[in-house]
Formats: sequence, C-alpha cells, structure tokens
Amino acid sequence: MNIALRCLLGLLWFAGALALGANTAQAHPHVWITATSELIYAPDGAITGVRHAWTFDDMFSTYALQGIETKTKGVYSREELGSLAQTNVESLKEFGFFTFARADGKKEKFQEPTDYYLEYKDAALTLHFILPLKTPVKPKELAVEVFDPAFFIDFKFADKNPVKLVGAPAACQMKFQRPNDGTANAQKLGEQNFLSGENSNFGMMFANKITVECP
Amino acid sequence: MSPKAHSGWVRGLTICAGAAFAILMLDSAIHALLAQTPFGGPRPSAEPQVGGIVGWLLSKQSEFYREMSATIRAAKSDGSAVWTLLAISFAYGIFHAAGPGHGKAVISSYLVANQETARRGIVLSFASALMQSLVAVVIVGICAWLLNATAKTMCGAEKAIEVVSYALIAAFGARLVWTKGGGFIRALQAPRPVPAMALAVAAHHDHAGHGHDHHDHDHSHAHAQGHAHVTHHDHEHRHDDHGHDHGHVHDEHCGHSHGPAPSELAGPGGWQRGLGAIFAVGIRPCSGAILVLVFALAQGLFWAGIAATFVMGLGTAITVATIAVIAVSAKDLARRLSGTKEGGGALFMRGVEFGAAGLVLLFGVGLLFGYLAAERVTCF
Repeated sequence: MNIALRCLLGLLWFAGALALGANTAQAHPHVWITATSELIYAPDGAITGVRHAWTFDDMFSTYALQGIETKTKGVYSREELGSLAQTNVESLKEFGFFTFARADGKKEKFQEPTDYYLEYKDAALTLHFILPLKTPVKPKELAVEVFDPAFFIDFKFADKNPVKLVGAPAACQMKFQRPNDGTANAQKLGEQNFLSGENSNFGMMFANKITVECP
Repeated sequence: MSPKAHSGWVRGLTICAGAAFAILMLDSAIHALLAQTPFGGPRPSAEPQVGGIVGWLLSKQSEFYREMSATIRAAKSDGSAVWTLLAISFAYGIFHAAGPGHGKAVISSYLVANQETARRGIVLSFASALMQSLVAVVIVGICAWLLNATAKTMCGAEKAIEVVSYALIAAFGARLVWTKGGGFIRALQAPRPVPAMALAVAAHHDHAGHGHDHHDHDHSHAHAQGHAHVTHHDHEHRHDDHGHDHGHVHDEHCGHSHGPAPSELAGPGGWQRGLGAIFAVGIRPCSGAILVLVFALAQGLFWAGIAATFVMGLGTAITVATIAVIAVSAKDLARRLSGTKEGGGALFMRGVEFGAAGLVLLFGVGLLFGYLAAERVTCF
C-alpha cells in the first residue's frame, strides 16, 4: 500500500506540475502591433532611451476608441485621444513596456514614458512614446528586445526602417533580428524544461531583437 | 516474501499502472488537445520546431481571429459575409477553446473529482460556454451600447468579473478538497486493522464523503465479487458511518455537497449540482469575444457580433466537452482497472478524486494570484 500511495502522490504531483507549468504558456495573440523603434543617443555617445511608435490592428484600434467623444465622427484629434494615450502608457508599465534592454549583459531599467500621444490614421491607432533609461549607459554591446512574454500581443516590426539609431557614434553597428529568423531564441527555449513554471517565457520565441555594438 | 506481502506488491503495481495510464491519458489529452506546450507557435511560416497538431491549432486560431475583423467589415456592404463570419467564429471557437480560460481544466477536474458522468460533463461544458457568451454580450451591450463607456471602463468591469471568477473557482476547489479529502483519508485509514481509529477520523469529516463511499460501495460490489475480508469489513464500517450521519445528509444520492448552499443539495440528475462549476467558469467572458463584439458594434453590426459570439461559444463547448468526456472516460477506465483488485482500488479512486479536487483549488488560487496566466484582459 505504501508503494501505491507514494506512486499515486508522485503522479498527482506530476500532473499538477504539468497542469501548472503548461497552463502559463498557451495564449494566442489578440492584439497585433506593427512597431518602429529608434534608439536615442546623447552627444557623449551614451544611449538615453528608446522611442517607440506602435500601430495597433484595426480590431483593437476600434476597441480602444470605444466611448471616446469626438467633435467630428470618425476623426480623432491628438487632444481627444490624450486620456487614452495616458491610459495606454500607464497600463504598459505593468508589462515593462514590452521592452527589455541589456547593456553588456546587465539588465537596464526604464523610467516613466515621456512625449506620449496617440494618432488615428487609416482606421488604426498609433501610440508614440519615449522610454528613457533610468541611467544613460555606454555599453560595448547593447541588446533591446521587444515582445510580450504572454504572447497576447504579437509585435511585428515594420518592413521598412524598423529600427533607427539617432545620434549614435559613427562606429556603432546595429543588427536587427526578427523572430522569424530567430533560430537562436528558439533553440534556447527548446533547452528549457517546460515543466518549470518560471520558464514560461513563451513569447520570447517571438522576440524582436535589436543589437548595437560600439567598439 | 509472504503471500500477503506479495499481493500487496501486485496491488501496488496495478494501481500504479492504472494511475500512470489515467494520467497519461489526461496529459496527452491536455497536451494534444489543449495545445499547451510552450513549443507551439502561431506563425505558420516560422519556427520549424513548431510541429504537428499543436502548431497547426495555434496557427489556425490566429488566422481565424484575424479574418474576423475583415469579415465584419465586409458584412457591412455584403450581407452574405455574415455566413462567412459565423463559419469563422465557429471554427475559431473550436480551436480557441484549446487556449487558456474556458474552464477546460476546471470542468474536467471537477468531473473527475465528483464522479460525474460523461453526459453531465457535456451539459456542463455547453452551459458554461453559453454563459460565457452571454456575459460577453451583456458586458458589451450594457457598457458599450447602452452607456457608451470607454474601453477602460469596460475593461475595469472585465477585470472585476475575472477576480470574482477566480475566487469562485478557488472556493469551489477548496470545498471539493474538503469533501474529497475526507473520503481520501478514510480510504487511507480503511485497510488498517484498527477500525476504531478509522471511525474516529471519519467522524471528524464531512458527510459528503460518506455518501460517496456508500455510492462506491455499491459500485464495487457490482464489479468485484471477491472482496477480501478486511475490505469488506471496512465497507460495512463506512456503511455504519453513513447511517450515523444520515440525519445530516438528506439526500444520500447526492453525497457530493458540503456546505450551506441548499441549491447544491439537489436531487439526482439535478442541474444545480454543477451550477457552481458553470457559474465559476462561465462568469468570465473571453477577451476575444469582447473585442469582436465592440468591433461589430462600431461597424453598426452588433447583431452579427452577437451571433458570432454565440457560435464561437458553441465551438468552444464542443472542444471543452470533448476534453471533459476524455477525462471522465479515463477515470472510468482507471476505476475498472483498479476495481478488479480489492481495497486498494477504492483508495486509488479516492486519491484520484482528491487530486482532481486539489487541481481545481490550485487553478483557482493560481489564477487569482496571477501564477497562472489565463487569457489576459485587454486593458490598455
């Protein structure tokens, strides 16, 4: 009976771990964002922050505009969208702005967004904001990833000019990696034990990675 | 090795095999049908390692979902596009139920914990999916259509409902654990040669388990004639307990309920028994449905959005019901396998029920405290 009991408890534990571990990673996107980003550098060559422009898909744009009062139907001015833009950036804080930066391997933090506003054009909303780094850094290698770990939002960078460096030292080299050719990420994830709940970084597979090397 | 010890080994092995089988069944059901591995990916063109059914499921639901907005737009000028919309919604529902939420796990665990039939599982699945659709329509109908509230307000309502839903699941699970824990502990105590102990422990526990044991008592008799003496003795004991507590349990057929809710003590075949499960799961609407409804409303086709939501719910129900039936069948199979051996079978089944009850509790608590990510509410 002891063996049976131990076996049973073990199996139940296993089932529980599976259920918990697996449950964290199974979303499919409900929101699609087409992004462009600029990395902003100070005159001394330190990176100060990231400027994002995120265009939402038309279903989500319509959803977000629900209940927003306008003077002219179907036309939304920047002022009329002001409070929505504020809601957007405030909510994004919870998700770390879906922007993850590492300077020479060390995680960097961001401050509250500045210069944020929404724009409505061609039935789509675009959210513009600047994400300043807590402290400007001058790393040899900078990596910025944009993705939603829960994969509720699918980030796709624009086909044309997805990433720009603004005011970067001339010697800096930028590389941009889309998730589609991100074999490195996929491999990393494959090595993870999917039983452990912490490694539920499912969305990482779909990360957009910007790397800047400044010798 | 004495013959007695030997038979203990055999019993242990049988139970293990049964348990392993049941869990493998459940697990493969969860993984194949629910598409829960982190290796799945929604981009058909990307990630060669996203293979097989899982990748296909995820890519399909993404596709269907994206087609919805275009189809609703098309329906504005061309009425026949509504049929396309319904078809897409149905397919989306079927595939989407594989994702988080929708209560597959909760409903399946509840069914397993509570010795429910497959038929009841189907009814529960459809009822909770229907309720989910209804809640989505009511939220958008009241907030967006009647009050023209902003997405932020609507989302706040959604979030509040979500918390209520998770708390209900947790409470529901806690009650199941309480109920099933009694049965499990009694089953653990059962084969020991000190009946007084068993009686003492049993007396502390709730009545629901007694009803349950009673039920199983009949069942095992039907299946296995050759009871060992010890087990038989134990059965009688429980039978006695049952008699003791009979004053508390008014309906012995429905021994599952514990707690004050009178609706839970419904008669045999009563709908109310699963009402808690339906409510806990169904009260939380699907974010996708809300988005589709608001979008349809903005296009002046709210009715098409409502139709799409209910068809989506129908698709969801089919998937959830399939999974629920698989879970119930797996348990039945396990019972038959373990039931051929004496005593241990009952312990095993009590253990499975206890475990399933624990899972419901885990799901509720995990969701409530954000350890488990269900489908995120679109709040930004």
